[in-house]
Amino acid sequence: MDAIVTVSNVVKNYGQDHVVTAALSGVSLRLEPGDFAVMAGPSGSGKSTLLNIIGGLDRPTSGSVSIEGRELASLSDADLSRLRRDRIGFIFQGYNLIPVMTALENAEYVLMLQGAPAARRREKVLAVLAEVGLSGLENRYPRELSGGQQQRVAIARAIAAEPALILADEPTANVDSRTGDSLIALMRRLNEKGATFLFSTHDPAVMAKARRLIVLKDGLVESDSEK
Amino acid sequence: MLIRLAFRNIWRNRRRTLITMFSMAFGLALAIFFISWGAGVYARLINQAVRLQAGHVTLEHPGYRDAPAVDLFVPGSSKIIEELSQWPEVERVKPIVLGQGMAKSGAGSLGVAVVGVLPSAEAASSPLVKNLSQGKYLADNDGPWCVVGKKLALKLNLGVGKKLVIATNDVGGNLVEELCRVKGIYDTGSDEIDTYLVQVPIGFARNLFRMPEDSVTQLGVILRKADFQKRVLKRLSGHFPAGRVAARAWQEVMPEVASYIRMDKSSNWIFQAILLFLVLFTIFNTMLMSVLERRREFAVLMALGTKPSQIASLIFFESAFLGALGCAAGIVLGGVVALVFNVVGIDLAWFVKEGISISGFALSTRIYSKVTPGILLVPSILVFAAILVVSVIPMRRAVKFSIADVLR
Repeated sequence: MDAIVTVSNVVKNYGQDHVVTAALSGVSLRLEPGDFAVMAGPSGSGKSTLLNIIGGLDRPTSGSVSIEGRELASLSDADLSRLRRDRIGFIFQGYNLIPVMTALENAEYVLMLQGAPAARRREKVLAVLAEVGLSGLENRYPRELSGGQQQRVAIARAIAAEPALILADEPTANVDSRTGDSLIALMRRLNEKGATFLFSTHDPAVMAKARRLIVLKDGLVESDSEK
Repeated sequence: MLIRLAFRNIWRNRRRTLITMFSMAFGLALAIFFISWGAGVYARLINQAVRLQAGHVTLEHPGYRDAPAVDLFVPGSSKIIEELSQWPEVERVKPIVLGQGMAKSGAGSLGVAVVGVLPSAEAASSPLVKNLSQGKYLADNDGPWCVVGKKLALKLNLGVGKKLVIATNDVGGNLVEELCRVKGIYDTGSDEIDTYLVQVPIGFARNLFRMPEDSVTQLGVILRKADFQKRVLKRLSGHFPAGRVAARAWQEVMPEVASYIRMDKSSNWIFQAILLFLVLFTIFNTMLMSVLERRREFAVLMALGTKPSQIASLIFFESAFLGALGCAAGIVLGGVVALVFNVVGIDLAWFVKEGISISGFALSTRIYSKVTPGILLVPSILVFAAILVVSVIPMRRAVKFSIADVLR
């Protein structure tokens, strides 16, 4: 089976001239369709940097990353935008919803970018919001929702366009443990329906629920184990 | 969606948006008011000048402008007056005989402009008639009578009924003199006019200068609207046999008035430019702040697949909405103020007790602004267009960053 993500010997250095900080020092990994992989590791181990590079938000200093066989280095900024829009979903640590959009509008944003017809968009997003447990809250603005509800909207936004890969950067960091558990359960459920997840976390409870655990340390993969 | 998002975005910081809108509206309203004020002054000045002198369009001998003299006259004026009076753009045509001379009384002598007019035509339009302070104005069948200005009367010790001798050269270059009596004294408030201008019936003037019957030095064509000038000039070009009559715009006949208006407009434009700059600076500052504080949000939108051009469009729409709202408020505010002063005017008598005189033409101290769709729309469109242009900088700033750095 073709890998969704192939990371080959990726190095990422910050700074220039004499002051160079290595965030990633030669990371290689593959993600297969249907993976539910968790990246763990201490702060500064390179989790977020790797997620950004896989998501096409940052470019590596050396090495290569492919998404569904497409080498990211060969893509222009516009092609990268299209790739993110059509094939990758993002879930951020701080929810990052658009405050002037309702839950429904936030969730349908990517579909709107894709140019999906309004009726189909609405039908699909209402179903996704129901899936993440937000039925009845579609017309609320982010300020009218709790942290957990906002993160559910962010998840709905990430999955509504049915991307091949969902990248989540510490999605449970800003919610209480009960909400965190329910969010992980939700993502597992979505994973079972076919979505591929890669997320970073510090949270041991989250690591415990991962099917695959990748541990990063000092910019290198320390361990990569299936559970 | 982008348009809806842009409209909502401008209300995220309601107070800042309202302050920006108010600043724009105030600046634009100020500009509209001053433009309408200037237009009011110019319109009044032009109206007064053309009615007192030789009309919006002046017909005269082609050589008269280079060497004004009574021997360069236009014969057969009645036929021209009769024809032009039928034109829909023309309010009236007034015959004028204009020459230079010396006014003499027992108290002394002074160089004057002797203007022969048809009193009935003059009475209907000339501001001089309205400013008569003593005696009566001339009548068409008057003989050797004249009206003089207050300053001339003072210098030559003249009063109503007193005698005045006018010495001048006739069409043949001979020195001639005629005696007339003062019928009225006017006080326009303009030193130049009140000292220099002597009006006499046109028949008396022809007789004084020994000009043929029905001849004039000028025909003053007063139009129903100043805007008709170009159309009438175009119609008149080639209308008369070459070398007989030339049609001139008032700007050519009274270049000092035209250059005053040009100069005043130029200084007004500088003032408007400063206002425009302040308005633009306000909105630029607002847009830039709004963009810089939302970089994380733009980074998220771009991470989700929004193209940089779409983010730039979002900023463009936000600028356009803010500009449109500010301009609309400015048009309403400026329009209302200009309309109020168009109806009631502003009396500057308290500030300028000596009266207002521009290029030798005394204006009433009550100034009325002039409101036209152009006065309301042109500065607003300019401001709006300039806002769209300056929004390019926030647009560029909104997409010039590394997504990963901002999200980190």
